[in-house]
Amino acid sequence: MRRVAIIGVGVTKFGKHDRTSAELFAEAAADAIHDADVSPAAIQALYYGNVTGGEGERQLHMGPLAATLLGLPMIPTTRFENACATSHAAFRHAMMEVASGVSDVVLVGGAERVLNIPTDAATEYFAYCSDASMEQTVGLTFPGVFALIARAHMEKYGTTEEQMAHVAVKNHRHGVLNPKAQFRKEITLETVLKSAYVADPLKLFDCCPFTDGGAALVLAAEEVARKRPRAVWALASQAATDTMFMHEKRDLSRVMATERAAAAAYRQAGKTPADVDVVELHDCFTIAEIVATEGLGFFEPGAGGVAAEKGWTSLGGKIPVNPSGGLKAKGHPIGATGAAQIAEIVTQLRGEAGPRQVEGARTGLTHTLGGNTATVLVSLFGRD
Amino acid sequence: MTENVLTLKQFFDEARAGRLTGIRCGKCGELSIPPKEFCPGCQERNWTAVPLVGKGAITSFTVIRVAPRGRGEEAPYAVAVVRLDEGVSLLGRIVDIPFDTLRSGLPVRFRPLVKGEETAVGFGPA
Repeated sequence: MRRVAIIGVGVTKFGKHDRTSAELFAEAAADAIHDADVSPAAIQALYYGNVTGGEGERQLHMGPLAATLLGLPMIPTTRFENACATSHAAFRHAMMEVASGVSDVVLVGGAERVLNIPTDAATEYFAYCSDASMEQTVGLTFPGVFALIARAHMEKYGTTEEQMAHVAVKNHRHGVLNPKAQFRKEITLETVLKSAYVADPLKLFDCCPFTDGGAALVLAAEEVARKRPRAVWALASQAATDTMFMHEKRDLSRVMATERAAAAAYRQAGKTPADVDVVELHDCFTIAEIVATEGLGFFEPGAGGVAAEKGWTSLGGKIPVNPSGGLKAKGHPIGATGAAQIAEIVTQLRGEAGPRQVEGARTGLTHTLGGNTATVLVSLFGRD
Repeated sequence: MTENVLTLKQFFDEARAGRLTGIRCGKCGELSIPPKEFCPGCQERNWTAVPLVGKGAITSFTVIRVAPRGRGEEAPYAVAVVRLDEGVSLLGRIVDIPFDTLRSGLPVRFRPLVKGEETAVGFGPA
């Protein structure tokens, strides 16, 4: 297999847009191609991620549409849907296309548009990522999924609502430093703790927002990447699945797919958690960040809450997590999120992250979780 | 080898009549809901449908206050993972139990929640 690098990244402003998801992706993709300093004609394939276009935009067959609006209607395209891990899954497959020698330069990314529809409709469409027969029928929502996890974690380890609130405060503080972030405003612990319950014990400020946005990456084989000093190597990309049913999870306080994907990714890259300098992980809810920091091996099971409280995951802390502001403050356009996380890590490893730069970062990790914890992707990145 | 000892439709038809059904692996004895082809534990394809009593205890729960479209008038409502006495778990809507008395370990009993064509799993007081 050939080594694969990311040679270009592009991310739209996250927030509310009056453009379609395909338009948002096209902007991000054009920026990524410019950033890569390759001719648009060099792109040989598009791996495209979107989740709710069929429901919210009455749009399927999005791959060719995205390629058409980009101005590259001739390239082969495939659309991916893996709930919130959609474009990270697309990335893994794009990486395999380049690694296998099928193509030398491939475009990957995704986009989502949901702020054009009412919140209860978006909540319904997102809930389609849980099982229709046994979970949607009882009214389980995504805040509900993570509320079940939060309560299990609180009861097993003594994790507190205040510790969860620290995650939100930290990610908002980071988001201030990211010009692309949806929210660029610091919040206090009190704001989080006094916000209304959405699904007990999770409150409004424990939840990431609905977001419109797009993100894109240009991947290239080593012989193309070697000439580009800003190239960042994809060291590993692994996916893991767990049962779709919340009632079948072996331990509600853990995300088994995170643990399995992480173990495989560290093995593929020849790295350990101690080698990682900067992390973008899936903080769709504050508890999700706490559980992920444990599952990725940065802290012992049950220690993630304390780590958040002590500031160990802040910029300047032991292991900076979500310098971009994370899903919580940067925003979560679900089809774009995985690619946007990778774009942030590439920016960090290039040393181009400005005021949110993790000094001297050489190795980065991204973690994206899909839906009811049934899909997780973990990838590792590095500089020579 | 046995196939289709229970379909999802049969599970819900039975549930609608107040009967909870699982499947038991003929090789390793694993109990499972919903029906599936291979046993996730031992990969055998040898299931038997088994009736479940419907009694269990809450493992984790939440009170959902922001509902999806179409369920707004039902909110707030509680949802819980319940571990049944037979050792298999099931997600259900909690009914007729005050929110402030919900706790892990609370005994509950299955009851079907029927709304038009839809049947959902519910749990009420034990």
